[in-house]
Amino acid sequence: MRMAMAGSLWKSSCSCSYTCSLVRVIGVSRTSSGAAAAILHASSLFPPPSMALKIQRKSSLTKWRWSQQQPQLPEDRNSNAFFFIRSSKYGTNSISTDGGKGYLESTDQELMSQCEMGTFKTSGPGGQHRNKRESAVRLKHLPTGIIAQASEDRSQHMNRASALSRLRTLIALKVRNAVDLDGYSPPRELLQILPKSSSIRTSDIGNQIGPNNPKFVYGMQALLDLLYAVDGSVSEAAKFLGLSTGALSRLILSDDSLRLAVNELRASEDMKPLR
Amino acid sequence: MKLSLTPKLSTFLKPSLASTPLRRSLCSSSPSPPPPPISLKPQTPLFLRPPIHSATSSDLQQWQDWAKTLASSVGSTFANSDNGPDSTLLLRELNWLVDDAVQQGIENGQRKIRLRVSLEELYLLWKQRIEERKPFQYIVGCEHWRELVLCVQEGVLIPRPETELIVDLVGDVVKGEEGLREGLWADLGTGSGAIAIGIARVLGTGGGRVIATDLSPTAISVAGFNVERYGLQDVVELRKGSWFDPLKDVEGKLAGFVSNPPYIPSDNISGLQAEVGRHEPRVALDGGVDGMDDLLHLCKGAASILKPGGFFAFETNGEKQCKYLVEYMENEARGSFCNLSIIPDFAGIHRFVTGFHK
Repeated sequence: MRMAMAGSLWKSSCSCSYTCSLVRVIGVSRTSSGAAAAILHASSLFPPPSMALKIQRKSSLTKWRWSQQQPQLPEDRNSNAFFFIRSSKYGTNSISTDGGKGYLESTDQELMSQCEMGTFKTSGPGGQHRNKRESAVRLKHLPTGIIAQASEDRSQHMNRASALSRLRTLIALKVRNAVDLDGYSPPRELLQILPKSSSIRTSDIGNQIGPNNPKFVYGMQALLDLLYAVDGSVSEAAKFLGLSTGALSRLILSDDSLRLAVNELRASEDMKPLR
Repeated sequence: MKLSLTPKLSTFLKPSLASTPLRRSLCSSSPSPPPPPISLKPQTPLFLRPPIHSATSSDLQQWQDWAKTLASSVGSTFANSDNGPDSTLLLRELNWLVDDAVQQGIENGQRKIRLRVSLEELYLLWKQRIEERKPFQYIVGCEHWRELVLCVQEGVLIPRPETELIVDLVGDVVKGEEGLREGLWADLGTGSGAIAIGIARVLGTGGGRVIATDLSPTAISVAGFNVERYGLQDVVELRKGSWFDPLKDVEGKLAGFVSNPPYIPSDNISGLQAEVGRHEPRVALDGGVDGMDDLLHLCKGAASILKPGGFFAFETNGEKQCKYLVEYMENEARGSFCNLSIIPDFAGIHRFVTGFHK
């Protein structure tokens, strides 16, 4: 799969504004053990609109070209067309869940080394020959197939930095870690995004980290892990966090991407969306 | 070396600048008597000029509508004729021009529009962009490159996104190598000073320094402006001269040197995209019959300018030149270099040759 993608042309919407992701969650299903599994498909081109996370189409189709310079992953890492990401009620039977937190904790450089970078397809020799200011950047995270892109800055370097930070958000939203609800104790990064009204939050956690803080994604990932483990029930998750249901709802609604991810989960569980 | 650049912007930010012809001849350093002496003061990029002009919002809107129509009328004509920009790209540039030239704010409770150039000049600038195919970067006087905003003007090569990678290559090499990070570096043919400034920032405060050379006095003055804007006067030293000529005193002492020399074969110059071929300095593009004149010169000098363990990186025209250079350095400079590699740019084109002096 990786080999086939390298150097091939991709069509995608090219947006001048915030384009979040072209990853499709094509289905959220239940496994036999009762664990929810989100299935990501890295290459399906036309997802059902309701499932696409946040795609803005603003301008015409654009051709992309992937760089072939990322030989760092073993061949089999992306050999499946489908990538299963599971979260489990019972931490014991989960598979391949070690990655989620690991990816987020990677340095920019480590994360970048797991990515294939696409720039606008350039015909011709490039370099000194060319002056086109096509500085858009698109990153594909090979282990998960998650794609993030940025094109609003005038410098390719800056677009790469924005794409990388978006990739972190998307990983937090899409890659689930197993949670053991027996004796569950929220990790520090989750406590940090909770409001002070939380009864389990101690004073050494410091001020509440809001959605504009780059560290918010770490807490967001842990919160989604918990919400998946309780099948999308906000009231049940709230109990684990020492919060009222209303307070947790407000936290979820404070960030658009978090709200969308939670409502996507709730929709798959036939629950009403949070508003 | 400290550059004696005008310390205060205000001295060359006089409103009168706006009425002087935008394009100045900057290639000759010894003008004959009649024309006024050529100033080597760099032009101030649009975004650094004071917002001293005003306009009504309807006048500005009228200009924007006119500019959009002009950009849209291009369609894919330029793209088809010489692989130039299409309307979509030009419209994006128009937004950036507005970013740089227009300041909107509230004064005394009223919405006010302030411009960094007069409205008449905005008409002129956009006309130059479309009709003369003047590069957008020369229109606004700057280019966004890496995390930097660099001043550029005619007579100076506009730094390319591909070249951003050279700074990353140096960053990788100096990581954990104190000897290289604290050493003396050189950027030969620095142009706007882009690579030199990028490297200086990567070296950090460890005491590493960069010498940036260029043959062109315009380039030296523009690079000096950029170096000063980033407060790197004590780290980056500018020297005027051709390739190794101004580096006689540091022979065998460099921890590393990099260059993006002219590498386009002479035959290809006439077919270049108009923005490049008609407006950018030929001396920064034309690398001779096979584009290798300057690259070979740099390869020949590499062994004697670098200290043992020193690093070099050159940008090239592509795979053919890369292969040739690596073979050349393996065979001709037998035993002088190790770890020679060819590194692709983000489009997958084999763009850079790197290696170490043994």
